[in-house]
Amino acid sequence: MLTSLILSAAAAASGSSVPADGTSWTIHADKVYTSTGKVHESALIVVEGGKIRAITPGVEATRDALHAPVVTAGMVDASARLNSGTSSVEQSSEVTPLVSAEFGLDLYSPGWGRLARTGVTSAFITPLNQNCVGGMGTVVKTAGDRSIKARTVEGAPMLCGAIGSQPSQRNSSAFGRPTSFFNRRPTTRMGVEWEWRKSFFEAAQAKEPDDAQKVLLDALAGKVGVFVQAWATQDIRTAVFLKEEMAREGFGEMRLVIDAGAEAWREPAMLVRTNTSVILPPVPAQGRTTDGALMSVECARVLRDNGISFALSGHGASRLDIQAGLAMRGGLTREQALRAVTLTPAQLLGVDGRVGSVEAGKDADLILWNGEPFEATTRPVGVLIGGHLALDPR
Amino acid sequence: MKSSLTQPLLALGATLLLASSAAAAPQVDKTAVKAGTVITLTGEAIPDGVIVIEGGRVTAVGAASEVQIPWDATVIDQPGMVAFPGFVEAHAARGIDRPNETLDVAPFLDVKDSIDPVNFYFEEALRQGILTINVQQGNDTVVAGQGMVVKPFGMTVEQMMVKPRSGVKISAAPKRGKTRATQAQALRGAFDDLRMYLEEMVQRKKDGDDFDRREALYQGRELEGEAAKGKPLACSGWTIDGFERIPRGEVDEKREPLLRIVEGKLPVIMWCATPMDVHAALRVAEANGFTSTMTLALAPACWKAAPKIKESGCHVILAGLEDNELDPITGESVETFVPKVFHDAGIPFALMSTGDSNRSLWYQAARCVANGIPRADALAAVTTTPAKILGLTDRVGKLAKGADGHVVLFSGDPLDITSVVEHVILDGAHVYDRSKDVRVKQLFDGTRPPGTASDTSAEEEWPGDGDGPEDDDDETENKG
Repeated sequence: MLTSLILSAAAAASGSSVPADGTSWTIHADKVYTSTGKVHESALIVVEGGKIRAITPGVEATRDALHAPVVTAGMVDASARLNSGTSSVEQSSEVTPLVSAEFGLDLYSPGWGRLARTGVTSAFITPLNQNCVGGMGTVVKTAGDRSIKARTVEGAPMLCGAIGSQPSQRNSSAFGRPTSFFNRRPTTRMGVEWEWRKSFFEAAQAKEPDDAQKVLLDALAGKVGVFVQAWATQDIRTAVFLKEEMAREGFGEMRLVIDAGAEAWREPAMLVRTNTSVILPPVPAQGRTTDGALMSVECARVLRDNGISFALSGHGASRLDIQAGLAMRGGLTREQALRAVTLTPAQLLGVDGRVGSVEAGKDADLILWNGEPFEATTRPVGVLIGGHLALDPR
Repeated sequence: MKSSLTQPLLALGATLLLASSAAAAPQVDKTAVKAGTVITLTGEAIPDGVIVIEGGRVTAVGAASEVQIPWDATVIDQPGMVAFPGFVEAHAARGIDRPNETLDVAPFLDVKDSIDPVNFYFEEALRQGILTINVQQGNDTVVAGQGMVVKPFGMTVEQMMVKPRSGVKISAAPKRGKTRATQAQALRGAFDDLRMYLEEMVQRKKDGDDFDRREALYQGRELEGEAAKGKPLACSGWTIDGFERIPRGEVDEKREPLLRIVEGKLPVIMWCATPMDVHAALRVAEANGFTSTMTLALAPACWKAAPKIKESGCHVILAGLEDNELDPITGESVETFVPKVFHDAGIPFALMSTGDSNRSLWYQAARCVANGIPRADALAAVTTTPAKILGLTDRVGKLAKGADGHVVLFSGDPLDITSVVEHVILDGAHVYDRSKDVRVKQLFDGTRPPGTASDTSAEEEWPGDGDGPEDDDDETENKG
């Protein structure tokens, strides 16, 4: 009785169930995994104006509702690397904190459509790894109006960079006369680390910090997150010890997230004691990733067992739902795998006010699955982003 | 019988997987495998089933309550597991030296000279439950050598052999350095050359020239018995008058495989990278009478040639599940799930595994189910269809009386994302036990073989500078 009252109230509020502007829908699912731990059975989700208006469990499907066996929140890819390649990072200088990835976005790239159709509704785009401190990352919806303003999701500011071999890969020592900026330092891992430490030290000791140094100071204070790519154990150590050194020097407590932490599983204790989170890259085909890091499907489980906060990522090439499935293969439960691709990355990126779970008030970023999510035998058959149908299940 | 593994060659994973004696092919008289579910692929799955294997062949499959287990059989009882026939790989250019020769036309080569029994591919195949593999040469060729069907177990090629001279690899797609035109010319040329050679043989015989006989003896071939007899050419594409006068043994050994191809005795696997290649392939096959013994190995783009393939009646092997096209005008990306196109057209298809350990044949079949292909057809694409392509229908790809004694025990349903291969029984012998798989242990648990340089179990985690105990850098381990 009560549920039918709620239903009719919801129907009345949304007017007719036929969408007028394309952002209002009713969706019926046999199961809704909310990502908060709650599971609704036989639930009706009312979407209105691009937001989740209400979720009502225990009701039958209405005639014009979209139906799916399972509905989950849209996935948040914490390292989508859609705009990858050398054009993704400003290489003329090693430390470029003021550069922001949002100004390099190409919303016409077909990669967005591919991400959206495979269920990734929000993607974290960062300057990549060809310099040391690349600049600020941005969370972007993978479908919707083709304007950066409309698609950007405001979240926690994140300063991105890389530690390891990639920042120095193209550099070489000057032979005779230096001919290009590739003849600058660093050419080694120690040079890369020195650039990081030098920029933090100089910012902390500057009498009048410039704009770039202000960003670094905020990073030291923990007001801006530090999102560092570090594949191999030695590089993860470098990032963690850097944080600890800055704290010892009295410069502040960084909020550290290791991106592409393929070997984070090897030395979890240092991640636990520094409260560092990890974004895992796609599982490699035969065990070794970039920078020779060793990674298997079990890595997510090891991080879970150590209480380390982690999210999965697809790097553009790999489907995130399959990565979640492979994490299950390595020992995560389905609920844990779901959190690792929805709520946890949303929290790490500070966008969990809008995305990351199926709850009333959040953006209508939803995936309609043709079975239990993350199985190799199922896939997203419908995707809504901000209430718009990016993949039509009908 | 279990022997202790003291061999120092730890890098040779194949030796580490063996639960039985490493050197010889295992000889086990009778084995009974009991599992919570037995998937036979000949009918409904059997709950609480048993498979009896005697002398390396399945002699009974059925419910445990109905099948008599011989008193002297070794029983493997896994009530929590799912028994499944081994996967069948219809075509793989792996486990061999290099996939291709530089020679354009080399059907006289044989992969048996190139197969490396300890190649990682075979170890991985066993781990993934792929028990029948058709090893062929690669795609970068015009006419390549003869393949061989093997099982991924054994320390010599002879021990691994299931069916020799299983087919010849031919490519309709241009070999590196060739254009489509020169490739087509080379392909036609190979068969035209054969035809001309056979005509010349007949002419020489008429002229009383015994060049071919002398050449055969020089090449070391005996001209006795069957080899001394001549038969009319049995090619549906063309004929050679008077060929029955030629003793078969006199045919030059470099061209003899081509002769068997045109007579339909040696199957062909034809590689096509684009829909155009499919047309070229069918033309060559039609002209030379081997359409009915040809299987097409297709890159994803070839789904567009499905109607033509349907007409031909050929089976296909799909190298890749998805075709992505970018519309040049709208910029929209269009994805086609290739197996669905062939399924809907009623064309029997087999799938190929990739080099990805996490996406083996079970994964390929599971993706078919995700994209709307019924489970039975998806499973057939990795078992019974490739078995048919290889001419091994009664032997592999199903659990039935008379089949080879191969059983894979999965921890759950084979298509579930969390299921892994726990045990493999090959020809009745228990040859793989995941709990003893050292490489799995290394990768998944991070454990290292004890006593080796990479064993870090005794070390403490490096605490960083300034915190924790005195540094002792000598202990610090570089990543293995």
